[in-house]
Amino acid sequence: MDDLLAARSTMAFSLGFHIIFASVGMTMPFFMSAAHYLHLKTGKPVYLELTKMWLKGVAILFAVGAVSGTVLSFELGLLWPEFMKHAMPVIGMPFSWEGTAFFLEAVAIGLFLYGWERMNKWVHWATGLVVGIAGFSSGIFVVAVNGWMNAPTGFDWVDGAAVNIDPVAAMFNEAWLHQTMHMQVAAMQAVGFAVAGIHAALYLKGKAKEFHLRALKIALTFGAVASLLQPLVGHFAGQRVAELQPAKLAAMEGHFKTSKQAPLWIGGIPDVETQEMKWGIPLPGMLSFIAYDDVNAEVRGLEEWPREEWPPVVITHVAFQIMVGIGGVLAVLSLLFFYFWRKGNFPPWFLWTLVFSVPLGMIAIEAGWTVTEVGRQPWIVYGVMKTKDAVTPVPGMQYHFYLFLVLYFLLAVATVWLFKRQIQVAQKRLEDVL
Amino acid sequence: MIEILLFFIGASLLLYVLLGGSDYGAGILEMLPAGKLREAQKHLINEAMGPVWEANHVWLIVLVVILFMGFPGVFVPLMTYLHVPMLALLVGIVIRGATFTFRHYDAVQEEKSQRVYTWLFSGSSIWTAFWLGVIAASLGRGLIDVETRDVWSAYFAPWIGWYPAAVGVFVICIFAFLASVYLIGETEEPELRRLFLRRAAVFNVLVVLAGGLVFAASYGEKENLPAVFFAHPLTLGVLVVATGLFVALWVFVQKHRTALTRIVAAGQVTLILLGWWLLYAPNALITAQGKINFYEAAAPEATLWQLVLALLVGSCFIFPSLFFLLKVFKTKGREEF
Repeated sequence: MDDLLAARSTMAFSLGFHIIFASVGMTMPFFMSAAHYLHLKTGKPVYLELTKMWLKGVAILFAVGAVSGTVLSFELGLLWPEFMKHAMPVIGMPFSWEGTAFFLEAVAIGLFLYGWERMNKWVHWATGLVVGIAGFSSGIFVVAVNGWMNAPTGFDWVDGAAVNIDPVAAMFNEAWLHQTMHMQVAAMQAVGFAVAGIHAALYLKGKAKEFHLRALKIALTFGAVASLLQPLVGHFAGQRVAELQPAKLAAMEGHFKTSKQAPLWIGGIPDVETQEMKWGIPLPGMLSFIAYDDVNAEVRGLEEWPREEWPPVVITHVAFQIMVGIGGVLAVLSLLFFYFWRKGNFPPWFLWTLVFSVPLGMIAIEAGWTVTEVGRQPWIVYGVMKTKDAVTPVPGMQYHFYLFLVLYFLLAVATVWLFKRQIQVAQKRLEDVL
Repeated sequence: MIEILLFFIGASLLLYVLLGGSDYGAGILEMLPAGKLREAQKHLINEAMGPVWEANHVWLIVLVVILFMGFPGVFVPLMTYLHVPMLALLVGIVIRGATFTFRHYDAVQEEKSQRVYTWLFSGSSIWTAFWLGVIAASLGRGLIDVETRDVWSAYFAPWIGWYPAAVGVFVICIFAFLASVYLIGETEEPELRRLFLRRAAVFNVLVVLAGGLVFAASYGEKENLPAVFFAHPLTLGVLVVATGLFVALWVFVQKHRTALTRIVAAGQVTLILLGWWLLYAPNALITAQGKINFYEAAAPEATLWQLVLALLVGSCFIFPSLFFLLKVFKTKGREEF
């Protein structure tokens, strides 16, 4: 493994790990606050139990998210010093606001977790909501930085350095809006479905059924609304990518030759040598339509760019297909959810589907970030700085990678184990209490 | 404007040491034998740290963000040439935060797993504190060489030596001392109070000894510490006052003046940091090629203004909420969930 690949793998792995916890941290406090609100309004103990169950999950995942986020703030410099040197004066600003938001989140979570009986109940409720709002804002700030890497603005690049810096213009770059919307909605989907799936499994076990049904409904309401919004947001994001990064779009779609009535592929593996798509089903004209609202629009193929500026086509295309496929599945499940809720009864096969859907949203998030990041290669700052020029000169980066591989693997195992124990004990308690 | 940022750098560093540092110290204390008070001590530390440790930890992130946005000329060499100790630090931060939380939120509180969490939590507290010291010491040694191509002298020599190790030990002792003093006031239990009193006394002695060790170890360095410290009346004065305050500390301890005891201990640590700051300011880093000061390493004006704005507006949110947090939890009789 050469140092560049090791650095990229480390970054991918650290981000891929953190994003799971970050997603939970910025969405689940809202589920928790909803349950807590229902308890305060109705006085029903079942909602209190639910709030306390979820808050334990939030506490554990928030801690792992906080420490893995700290790692990232250092790792940006440890892995990409040249990037940090030139980019942070331009796009550091959202990070400074993210720091503020994270601080509020950390204070609020302390107040919420330990503040029962210590303050006015509505003030206490509000601290839980602040955890969610601050976390959600953090997510927006961080993704805005990534948006700038895809659509760099707010500076002039003269002789290998940024001049005429405008941090505000950099933050509100061309990509910030669609990327933050896409990510925040995705987090809501992923966490909503994951939480609902876990409660579906516990419901199917047949104990404390009423409790788990209520939990499922709250979580999946968030998840389902997000899942029905996402196709629209995703479409908007796709059109922006077509405009801002046509090479990324071409890689996502495995589109090699510039053509009108460009097809959209269902499945398929792009063959980079022959520049053809294998085993895919083409929907003629659909790519042109999706990208430019016109079936006859011309879509630029990868042939327009020199070969060394192509992103890895196979990874980008496959990851994109996975993301869109899962998005479709979750949207269908969301419609079914509202349908069965109206009918007043969730059939077992639907609940089982939810159980198997637990990891789907997170897989889609990972796949989506793969599209964003791998699809931007070979650039770290699109059109300005290549990834290979940003990497640290420190040798032996593979050991850095292995270190975090082992550390995070152990952390993931421990977290899952802890959750299992939490759920077992909670199940027992619910049987006694409810 | 750079002065405002230097103020925030100083403030975040100070608050991280005074608040986050005592959280490390609590972990360090748990490594020591406590006999039958072991469980009570653990419970007390869980209660004292639980609501605040994440907020205390954020000061480090604030510091890092100020550095990379406002002073990339400092941040980049730091992350490049001190790559290895930074990695060591990160591993410690991850394990410490995770195991502290896991210990509290493990639904099954059994002897064996709790012992593992505690061992990892205190082990990583010592480990992380040590590397913080090593990194701090490496900034001023003048061994960071931005021109060398040799792997050893570029990435290892800047932080290896008796002096960084001694500073690492010194930081461990300071953190444990802070935690002991703070924890005396966290409990009404006479036995626990006596335990932390004893530890405060032990670490008081150890801090002085480790301080001497730092001075001694600095004789292997390019510039030895006594020479620079005693050369300037200000740094010398700071050192004398910090040491002299031990008398005040123990007077207040005898009189059971909890708040004053804490203030004095925090004041001592503040003075030590101030001495360190006076020694180097406004330089951030001393390399083999020369001194890198904050003024030269700063980002362009427009960026610094945005950073100052974020910090000032952020402070309007952060400080009131922080005071609220402390008000809620640092008054007696907490009810935790």
